[in-house]
This record gives sequence, structure tokens and C-alpha cells, in this order.
Amino acid sequence: MSAFYRAVNWNRQKYIFDGLLAATVLGYLGLFISLSLGQDSNATLETALIRGLGSGALVLLTVILAVGPLARLDRRFVPLLYNRRHLGVAMFLLALGHASFAVIQFHALGDVNPVVSLLTGGADFHDPATFPFEWLGLAGLVILALMAATSHDFWLATLTAPVWKGLHMLVYPAYVVLVGHVALGSLQQPGPPLPTLLLIASAALVLGLQLFAGWRERGLDRQQASVAAEGWIAVCDASEIREGRARMALVSGERIAVFRYEGRISCVSNVCQHQNGPLGEGKIVDGCITCPWHGYQYLPDSGQSPPPFTEKIPTFNVRVIEGRVYVDPRPNLPGTRVEPALINPGGPRRSA
Amino acid sequence: MTPLFASWFVWLTGGYLLLGLGFAIPFAFRLVNRLDPVAAHGTRPFRLLIIPGATLLWPLLLRRVLRRDTMPPTERTAHRNIQ
Ligand code: FES
Repeated sequence: MSAFYRAVNWNRQKYIFDGLLAATVLGYLGLFISLSLGQDSNATLETALIRGLGSGALVLLTVILAVGPLARLDRRFVPLLYNRRHLGVAMFLLALGHASFAVIQFHALGDVNPVVSLLTGGADFHDPATFPFEWLGLAGLVILALMAATSHDFWLATLTAPVWKGLHMLVYPAYVVLVGHVALGSLQQPGPPLPTLLLIASAALVLGLQLFAGWRERGLDRQQASVAAEGWIAVCDASEIREGRARMALVSGERIAVFRYEGRISCVSNVCQHQNGPLGEGKIVDGCITCPWHGYQYLPDSGQSPPPFTEKIPTFNVRVIEGRVYVDPRPNLPGTRVEPALINPGGPRRSA
Repeated sequence: MTPLFASWFVWLTGGYLLLGLGFAIPFAFRLVNRLDPVAAHGTRPFRLLIIPGATLLWPLLLRRVLRRDTMPPTERTAHRNIQ
């Protein structure tokens, strides 16, 4: 396809999203700092800023982790999902600000290198009251840095999706160590353990959402892929698919996307050749399946990108019998043309 | 962590990142064009944006440059593997 990389593929929605994000982050910091200074007469601006940046980063991280399962449970969260990388980079910048100010405030005043000072501060791993919680923060920050630095699509292509996804799954260990960092840090401060309690509640929310969404999806995949006679798989009724849209099902170890268009049904592998975007979440535009991620297009009957482009995805043989869609689970070679199945054989074709 | 170990750690990490930065700048502005045709027409802000990642992952990219790769690797999926 004729894509070339830009820093950000800006559109109106992204401008609005980023504007709202920046306003929310600045509003949160302003509120946090003024409340901290107002409530605690001993608090300094530096300490309030360090805590504001750190807590802001953790709140954003919690939102980021909740967005995935929420979007799977309710499509209204999908726009948040598609802008999740901007949330991630904003979160990393907050965490970096937090770490930088903390190192300057607590470790840069002596004549030892500040990072060496941070690593060698009196560490006792057996006692929560003196556990070096800064190490956990540093470990989390390193992971966040790696993820933020590789968040551009270029890295998805360069590393390949499985490696990239594996790398970005490190967000879970990062979350665990950062929760530990904040919990131990706040336990080591005088005062009520309110941050720790809030932290436990948010971690439980994230875990609960992940488990619930995973459980729901397993049910769906199993339900959709009931095996029919001759090993063909009954996916759904043709009437359940909206015009120009698809229904997805798990077949032969990967999802397929069954599209309905102009009275016909075609089936392709759900995985976009560009960067594994979910084609079944896209729609038919100008007669082509259009990937929701970056707009790569494929002809629904052959899985080929329209000329002059050369991308090809595997196709599947498909039949409609008494309104029910059946798919042969053996994929055809990428780009193999398959005669679309007519929804009403002999009836008039409906157009989009 | 002993002070000696900590300073070694800081020096080694710093050295790795400095070498990485030395590689990342020419990579982002020239070498990347050979590895990925989509990046070859990338905008200037895009190139600036990949410098941090190239600084962290420079050994992988250097290997690809030395191997004279001309495309990012093609991905295997369950449906493609069956054929
Ligand atoms: S993943 Fe980029 S267009 Fe499909």
C-alpha cells in the first residue's frame, strides 16, 4: 500500500483526544498540588509535584489496562483503545518527570553519581519499612521507556507483531512493580494508608475486568465455531451480519472474518498483512475490505489488495445453506479467489 | 548493591546507550531507508520519533543493516502456517 510513516497520523479525533488528555493531566496536577499544599503545611512544592506526577502516571496506567477489556465488553470504548498509545506515551512522560524530580531532590545533592546513590541507598529486602521501593520504580520506568520508545507502527513492523505484542505485554509486570513501588513508598511515609487502599482497589478492578472479558470471549469463540457436517463450520446466520460488515470466529487457530456485501458472503483470515490489524472490525469500502487500523484494502473474494498493491491474505471456501453460513476450516493460499456464496440464490442482489 | 557494582552498572548502561545514540541518528535519517520501504519516505518528525527506540534496540537494527535486509520480516500467522 502507498503508506509512508509520519510521526502521528493526525486527524480531528486525535486532536480532540490529545487536547482532552493534556487538559485532564494538567488539571489533575494543578488540583493535586494545590490540595497537597493546602492540607499539609509541611509539604513543599517539589514533593507535591513529585507525588502528583507519580500518582498521575499510575492513574493513567490503570486506565490503559482497563481500556482493553472494556473495549471488548462494550464497543463504545473502542475509540479509547485506538488512542491507547498516546495515553501510554503521556503516562511514560509523567513517570519520567516523577523519577527525574525525585532523583534530583533526594540523590543529586551529594558528590556521588545520583543513579549510583539511588542504587546503593541502605537496602533491606526483609523489612517493608526499609525495602528500597525506588528500585521497583526504576524497574517499572525501564519497561515503560522501552514500550514508549517502540510505540510507533514502525516498530510493530520491524519487530513483527508477536514480538512487539510480547514486549508490550511487559506492561503487566510493570504494573505489578509500580503498584509495589507506590504501596511500599506510601507505607514508609507517616499518615493514613489511603494511597495503598486506593491502589489495591484499582488493581482489583483491572484484574477483574481482564478476567471477565477473557471469560466472555472464550464463550463467544466456542459458540460461533460449532462444527457441522463434512467438517465445515457453521459460523452464524447470514442475517446476523450487517451489510458491509463482518462476523468473526475462531477457525484453525486464528480468527476468520466473514463479510456480507451486496447479497453475498466471503470469508478471509482476520489478520491484516500490514500489521495484524483485525480486518473483521473493519468494513467494506468501495468494494474492498478495509482494515480499521491503517486502511489497507483487500478484495473480499480473493483476499488480494487491489492493483497496483500486492498484499494477499488467506481466503476460505464458504457456503450459505438455508440462510446459515458455513466455512471450510482449511485456509486457501493467500490471494486465492473463492466464489462468494449468494445469500438468496436466484433472488435479486442487494446493493450497499 | 555495593558502590563498585552500582558504578559499573551505571557505566555499562551509559556506554550502551551512548553507542546506541551514535548509531540511532544515522539510522533514523539514512540507514532505515534500506531496511523498510515504508520508512524510506518517512517524514522528519517520524525519524526523530524512532531515535529513542533505535538507541535502545541498536544491536538488532545493526544486525539487519549488516545482513543487508531490504524488508521488515514477514509475519507468520496460524492460517499462513497451515499451507
Ligand atoms: S494493520 Fe495496518 S492496515 Fe491493517
